[in-house]
Amino acid sequence: MKGFSIWHAFLLIGLLGLVMLFYQGLWGDPTALPPVIIEEAAAEVVAPDLYSGDEFRLSEHLGKVVVLNFWASWCLECKLEHKFLLAIQKRYENRPDFVMYGVNYQDKPHLAKAYLEEYGNNFAHVVDMKGKISIDYGVYGVPETFVIDKKGIIRHKQIGPILGDVYSNLLENVIDPLLNEPGLTS
Amino acid sequence: MIIEFGHFAVVTALILSVVGITAPIIGLKTGNATWVLVARRAVIGIFILLTIGMAILIYGYLAQDYSVKYIYATSNSKLPIFYKIAGLWGGHEGSLLLWAWILALYCMLATLIHWKSQPAVMPYLILIESIVINGFLLLILFLSNPFERIFPAPLDGKDLNPLLQDPAMVVHPPLLYLGYVGLSIPFSFAMAALFSGRLGEEWVKATQRWTVFAWLSLTLGIGMGGYWAYYELGWGGYWGWDPVENAAFMPWLVATAFLHSTMVQEKRKMFKVWNLFLIILAFSLSLIGTFLVRSGILSSVHSFAADPGRGVFILAFVTFMLLLSFGTLILRSAKLKSQVRMESMVSRESVFLYNNLFFLVALVTVFVGTLYPLLMEVLELQKVSVGAPYYNTVFMPVALGLVFLMGVGPYIPWRKTTPENMKKLFVFPMLSALILTALCFILGVHKPYALAGLWVVFFVLTAIVLDFNKISAFWAKREKVSRAQGFVSAYQSNPRRMTGIFIHFGVLVMVVGIIFSSMYQAEKILLMKPGDEVNIKNFKFRLANLYGVEGVNWKGQEAMFDVYEDGEIIAQMHPQKRFYTVSQTPTTETAIYELRMGHLFVTIPEVAPDGTWARVRILHNPLVLWVWYGGGIMTVASLMNIFRRDRRKRALAVNVSKTVPGVSPNAAQPTR
Amino acid sequence: MKKSAVFFFATFLFLSFGETFLFAQSDPVPPALVMDDDELQTQLKAVSKTLRCAVCQSESVWESNATLAIQMRDIVRERLLAGETPDEIRAYFVSRYGDYIVFKPRFRGLNLLLWGGPFILLVFGGVILLRNLRNWTRPQPETTQASQQALLEPIDEKQRRRLEQELR
Repeated sequence: MKGFSIWHAFLLIGLLGLVMLFYQGLWGDPTALPPVIIEEAAAEVVAPDLYSGDEFRLSEHLGKVVVLNFWASWCLECKLEHKFLLAIQKRYENRPDFVMYGVNYQDKPHLAKAYLEEYGNNFAHVVDMKGKISIDYGVYGVPETFVIDKKGIIRHKQIGPILGDVYSNLLENVIDPLLNEPGLTS
Repeated sequence: MIIEFGHFAVVTALILSVVGITAPIIGLKTGNATWVLVARRAVIGIFILLTIGMAILIYGYLAQDYSVKYIYATSNSKLPIFYKIAGLWGGHEGSLLLWAWILALYCMLATLIHWKSQPAVMPYLILIESIVINGFLLLILFLSNPFERIFPAPLDGKDLNPLLQDPAMVVHPPLLYLGYVGLSIPFSFAMAALFSGRLGEEWVKATQRWTVFAWLSLTLGIGMGGYWAYYELGWGGYWGWDPVENAAFMPWLVATAFLHSTMVQEKRKMFKVWNLFLIILAFSLSLIGTFLVRSGILSSVHSFAADPGRGVFILAFVTFMLLLSFGTLILRSAKLKSQVRMESMVSRESVFLYNNLFFLVALVTVFVGTLYPLLMEVLELQKVSVGAPYYNTVFMPVALGLVFLMGVGPYIPWRKTTPENMKKLFVFPMLSALILTALCFILGVHKPYALAGLWVVFFVLTAIVLDFNKISAFWAKREKVSRAQGFVSAYQSNPRRMTGIFIHFGVLVMVVGIIFSSMYQAEKILLMKPGDEVNIKNFKFRLANLYGVEGVNWKGQEAMFDVYEDGEIIAQMHPQKRFYTVSQTPTTETAIYELRMGHLFVTIPEVAPDGTWARVRILHNPLVLWVWYGGGIMTVASLMNIFRRDRRKRALAVNVSKTVPGVSPNAAQPTR
Repeated sequence: MKKSAVFFFATFLFLSFGETFLFAQSDPVPPALVMDDDELQTQLKAVSKTLRCAVCQSESVWESNATLAIQMRDIVRERLLAGETPDEIRAYFVSRYGDYIVFKPRFRGLNLLLWGGPFILLVFGGVILLRNLRNWTRPQPETTQASQQALLEPIDEKQRRRLEQELR
């Protein structure tokens, strides 16, 4: 075409690219975040127990599969997943190489206790005092759940509630295989 | 029932917009002017119908009809009348209706005003505007209907977002839309020029005031947004480089470039294609901005609720407009060989070119910064954030370059200039700026960026003053009057140029405000108990008391601060933490004390309910008022530009440039 | 799943915002002590302005009043007191939250284009402009203009005139 210059081509390609970018972008979720710290060594957690105030140390549980669940009493979706958490604990409570801890996030102890009273409780909880633990684990919001293997490596991060498929997937494809892995001491 | 009537009015407007599209096409095809008259009636009809739709919705707000979903979502029976009406644009659906209404208003006004003077443009103008109106009405009626009912009707509304319950925020959206949509008029004229092949200066001249008005509205809209952020959000700044702010800023940048480069087309008949490109780009960016804000594609504080369906529709519409406008431009301009002819490498024309280059680079900076996170997301790479640190390092130098050009462009002659003339024009401003900057250094301004910024400001300021001095002396001599009256005569002889310089002056004032309020801002965040004191610069803040307060639809806590300067008490400040009971939203109310055109600024974002402590944010923002003063000067000067009366004294101007060689001829040259 | 994640974040965003007020209710001890060291505050501001408040939308940790931002500020402050440099502190947050957490994309990979792009464009554009200017200032035969006029005029001209006349 006469007079059709390289600038015109640039312009057309640019416009096309822009529209494609926008179209693709529409199907993404700008708030969704890629998990970052998976397959990395879990940061040490030192925190007081919600009830006794005794100090909990994650490093003392090296050699076990550890599930850390961040929750808060004001969080709506935590309530939805709570009975599934109870079920997880129930399923593995006889295994010596499994331990689950709740991390109470941006909350008040008395509200947290009232919450546990209302929805039931069968595992231990620690208090995230100044948000140190949650920031160490890159937590954006609650609920978020981490599964740490026997070597102390974070192997799974679940953003959002553990329900239905997520629940069964977590048991069958994450926790069970991890429990079957050899521990550190072996 | 009446609400349904409003809905019906908007549906009818949609049908009329189809008439507005088809009638001009038939008119152009058949050459029958009756069809254009039909189109004109349709345009007036659309405006009347949309006005009815808006009025009925406002009636719904005042009558507290919460069976309308949108009214339910954005109003409450306890709201003052003012905010009840403002609720109309407090959400996505209603603000779109406002968009469409303003578009219809512009289209009608442009049709009526230019009917006689620009008959050839009319069918194209109505056609283009109707396409845009049609797109927006489709979006409103099918994907964001403000007339939708809910059943059963709630007893009371959810309340307007308390953050929006602020006068600045009430006028912010309409002004912004006046700006966005206002660009559609020069855009339509440009499209008309492209379609009809009359690519001369005519369309540029006819739309100059429209463009200035749209530009002013955009400036004010952005300014109001900043003003609101500053007073209402309580973090002590007015600009956060948020994607939505950028979405409004991008068309502003291009519109500003366009305003400048059209002058070259008017005076020297060059850059025809370039100007078409700029105005199409400016309006496209308005549409793209609308898409970015309303599709939820970017995360931002201002986003409307995301809905992919809406996003897809707006994107389809924007794509259509982009292809239509840029496609036409490409097809037409391919037939246009470059007509640029210049006599010298250094001339007003070439400075305009650099001005445009800088504006474009500024645009690219903001554009890329805004969309880069999206690009990374789409490419499934590491998710990133681009924020103030990026813009401060990349955008600011470019902006400073633009400010510098403000001191060069208006004073360099058209066509050609000699090295001696250049020396005469710019050596003195540069030296005087150096001296003034050194003075600032002695007075305690030591940050290199601040000094660089000040040097540029002083350079431009001296250039302006020198020029004003020269031309008023010239007119005083010529008309045998005093210098001051000479200045008035100079103004009257070329108000367009003079108002432009006034706007530049406003920009300078604003730049000084920005330099000081950002680089010399002192800020502290800390926890304080009653009785605690904190020092910031030479000010001391003592938290005297914390107590509960209550308003009509909120309750909260207030702090009382005693403020001392150099040991002397100068003020008492009362920031508040409020909790709006209906919408269950907390807000922080800023306490501001004005001091030597700067602000002491206190907020209490968090308070212990028992009043034992408060989290306190204290700022000293020196010269922050200059930012608003600069904006005010720009506003007044733009209004003077829009309502100016051009005198035509061509013969005189020729004499001027011949008789007084010292005066740069253009300085006293009237517009035409 | 996607929807529920959106809902989860929406709830959370609201809660983290509302929560600063709601759940301050019975806090017995302020979480951080009163701090009034000019130098520390200046540094704290400089660092936390480059960090994104993860739960807010485009607000920095310094500007935001959300609980997470307050906690992040406290951590920045602690790390500053421990003698860490701003870059080390940023690196820590990046290791926890990813690049998303910093407002200042790191100088590497594609990010370099983001940082350098505008300046490259400025130089590139400047050079092209200069070159074109040189071309344009070169004297040209006057005929070109006339031939362009000829090229331009016929477009829709007939139609335009007819229409103009009828409208009058």
